[in-house]
Amino acid sequence: MELLNLKYEKYKLDNGLEVILHQNKNIPLTAVNLWYKVGSAQEKKGKTGIAHLFEHMMFQGSEHVAKEMHFRLIQEAGGSLNGSTSFDRTNYFEKVPSNFLELALWLEADRMGFLLPALDQEKLDNQKKVVYNERLERYDNQPYGLAWELLITNLYNKSHPYSWSTIGFAEDIKSYTLEDVSGFFKKFYSPDNASLVVAGTFDIDKTKSLVEKYFGDIKSGNGVNHLDLTDIKLNETKTIVHKDNVQLERIYLSWLTQKAFDKDDAVLDILSDLLAGSKNARLYKSLVFEKEIAQDVSAFQFSGKYGGHFTIVATAKPEKSLDEIKSEIFKEIEGIKTNGIKPSELKRSKNGIKSSFVFALQNLDTIADHLNLYNFYLNEPSSFAFDLNRYESVGKEEIINVISNYLINPFVELRIIPKNKIS
Amino acid sequence: MKFDRNIIPTPSPVSLFTVPEEETFKLENGLQIYHIKKSELPIVLVKVVINSGSKFDPVDKKGTFNLLSMCIDEGAGKFNSLELSEQFDLLGTSFSIHCNSDNIQLTLQTLKENFSKSLELLSKILIEPHLKKEDFEREKRKILTRLQQLKDDPEYLANVSFESILIGSQNSYSFPVLGVEKNIKQIATGEINDSYKNFILPNNSFMVVTGDIDKNELMKVLKQNLSGWQGKSFNNLPKLKNKKDIHKIYIADKKDSVQTEIRTGHHSTGRNSEDYFAKHLLNSTLGGQFTSRINLNLREKHGFTYGAGSNFNYYKDEAYFSVYTSVGIDDTYNALKEIFRELNDIMNGVTTDELNFAKSSIVRKFPSNFETYKHITSNITGKIIFDLPDNYFIKYIENINSISLNNVNKAAIENIFPDQMTTVLVGDKDKLLKQLKSDEFGEVEIYESE
Repeated sequence: MELLNLKYEKYKLDNGLEVILHQNKNIPLTAVNLWYKVGSAQEKKGKTGIAHLFEHMMFQGSEHVAKEMHFRLIQEAGGSLNGSTSFDRTNYFEKVPSNFLELALWLEADRMGFLLPALDQEKLDNQKKVVYNERLERYDNQPYGLAWELLITNLYNKSHPYSWSTIGFAEDIKSYTLEDVSGFFKKFYSPDNASLVVAGTFDIDKTKSLVEKYFGDIKSGNGVNHLDLTDIKLNETKTIVHKDNVQLERIYLSWLTQKAFDKDDAVLDILSDLLAGSKNARLYKSLVFEKEIAQDVSAFQFSGKYGGHFTIVATAKPEKSLDEIKSEIFKEIEGIKTNGIKPSELKRSKNGIKSSFVFALQNLDTIADHLNLYNFYLNEPSSFAFDLNRYESVGKEEIINVISNYLINPFVELRIIPKNKIS
Repeated sequence: MKFDRNIIPTPSPVSLFTVPEEETFKLENGLQIYHIKKSELPIVLVKVVINSGSKFDPVDKKGTFNLLSMCIDEGAGKFNSLELSEQFDLLGTSFSIHCNSDNIQLTLQTLKENFSKSLELLSKILIEPHLKKEDFEREKRKILTRLQQLKDDPEYLANVSFESILIGSQNSYSFPVLGVEKNIKQIATGEINDSYKNFILPNNSFMVVTGDIDKNELMKVLKQNLSGWQGKSFNNLPKLKNKKDIHKIYIADKKDSVQTEIRTGHHSTGRNSEDYFAKHLLNSTLGGQFTSRINLNLREKHGFTYGAGSNFNYYKDEAYFSVYTSVGIDDTYNALKEIFRELNDIMNGVTTDELNFAKSSIVRKFPSNFETYKHITSNITGKIIFDLPDNYFIKYIENINSISLNNVNKAAIENIFPDQMTTVLVGDKDKLLKQLKSDEFGEVEIYESE
């Protein structure tokens, strides 16, 4: 699909900052999207969550930008902004009316080069409280909110950097010091550990000189050592039962699989869709529609730079047993392994995925973030067509193979059950 | 390159932006169509809005219209439930149905090449839904389980109890869209069929089409598929009584909760009130943005919360003002104190700087409200639902810019009433009662939901 061959220009500043420019003049908006190649995977035991806390600190002002001014200036310009942290990377992004592009570049450069002079104990204490409340709101006080953490801590061995969640453990959040934060900055927040995307309406030459002006004299770092991990394995199946403030029991089954963009990664994505992505998907049809033993079912392949896992989640209908659900899940998986899938099932998944690639092009933020994502994992920003082709080339034999290669292995089974039921 | 990093870069000249304009026409069956041609991508987005929201739920049958929205795509035309879903999937078309207080919305997003096939499926759902008993019973069991599940969701509990208490049971907006458990059990297939016959009608609906399709082509496809949609509705909304605001704190107990969900507010004037733009700018300063007073105080100054804000909430025939946040349970009293401090402060007016900031932010953000097909469609939809003037978006920036400091400060006095706030707290009752020993924010009452 020609539409997916996005044109871009990529180059490097002397200090190592990668710059990717993509013009799209549909609307007078410009997206600035910056990836730092650091996520929770680079954290140390006892200081989990610091990559995410750090993302908060990046909005607390820098040497030439007072506290709250980053937000204020972008909002005053009519822009939107945010950041997010994952295992592998931290991103920061603004979308501004095109005539405010320089403002966004100035702000991003200031916190890349001049954050530490503005850092103080008061700001840190405040954001530690905010993040602690974020943890309460989004994890501890959410029904089933601790499931992800319980899964990954049991699935990955203790030395693997995916064995804790990006929000961090509550006691760790309370323990960060100013030294922790500034040490983290010095180690990871340098131009040679980042890539900058500018996408939307802008003038190429003018933008190149603005990027040079604001980012050019920021010093390179000392280089970041990438993690060297041996293959991960789960030796035996683990079963965990956790009591929570929930009404309905829920089961999670999770297997270690493949890294992002590895050979089987896209196949596992399609498998998740075949199992639970639509009304006709095997598990949805059986558990939710026909037998009505589950209220909902979902499946997904999570994959990152250092590993991945495939998870199936189902919530039991009242009075229905998780044992029955579990055995149905394995029966359906076995069914695919033995009898394969129909061509129409594969077509259904592939057509949905194809549309979603086109739908995603509506949003400049999404485009900018994907240019960075593809650059990070594949070293080629315009990999939209390549990515779609990963899905379009999947055949039914490969579906059976991934079941044989991963879903017969030991897994983590997590059951979340009611602490006390409300009648 | 030597330069002073303290100098904030100034913007280059503003780029031109024109508001996408819709063309409108009526089909013979009375269905009004709004068409926005947009051709950058081979995408068409279609939204059908039917004046059939949960506010029409009969007394003692709360949940009827949501159930109708769940059942209507469970088989239509020659396809049963699973086949129909399969048809959409094979086209790569995303299709969804959503019920809210005012209406049911059917939305599809499709690649241009599959537009006419997708629209044919949509028309079957509107004209020939099966509404079979077995599908109805399954969906009914699903929603009953969903309601049981939601008893765990502190946010849902806070929103639903707040609207229930504030709006009051004499007004159908006070009931949750999803309905009430004991009512849903009493709903029969016949009632779903009747609701379909009386409401899902062309003169009770409108359609917005945004995307890469010509008007002629669109008219042809619509005529082909929707001519069979016939009938007229004569539905009147039951009289909505307004409850007087009561200055009280209601505690909905959620044992072992580690946070308190806070909602506090009072009735307000509707979407079409003359001071709408003044209220919008006022709220932008008070609680509508990240840098608004409430969030800066509760989050950035005190660290009580991950986020806090305020809104003027508008339904078609109901409106209220509210402040929302969730805080660590031990900070509940202090958070309430800061919220009321901000409400009292705003009565003294906003500063010129704050007003200019709010204006600048809203005016400059305007083009990005039209970035995606979804944005454009929902803007047009809102304009129609609330009977806003045809040129509403064309005049929008002018309207915002015309508001003076006096207008905003008058809006504060006329629209914010700290001593009339009804407050709902969802959290651990015992821990909350310990903190709320006086009637500082209103008398404290324990709320038992039905």
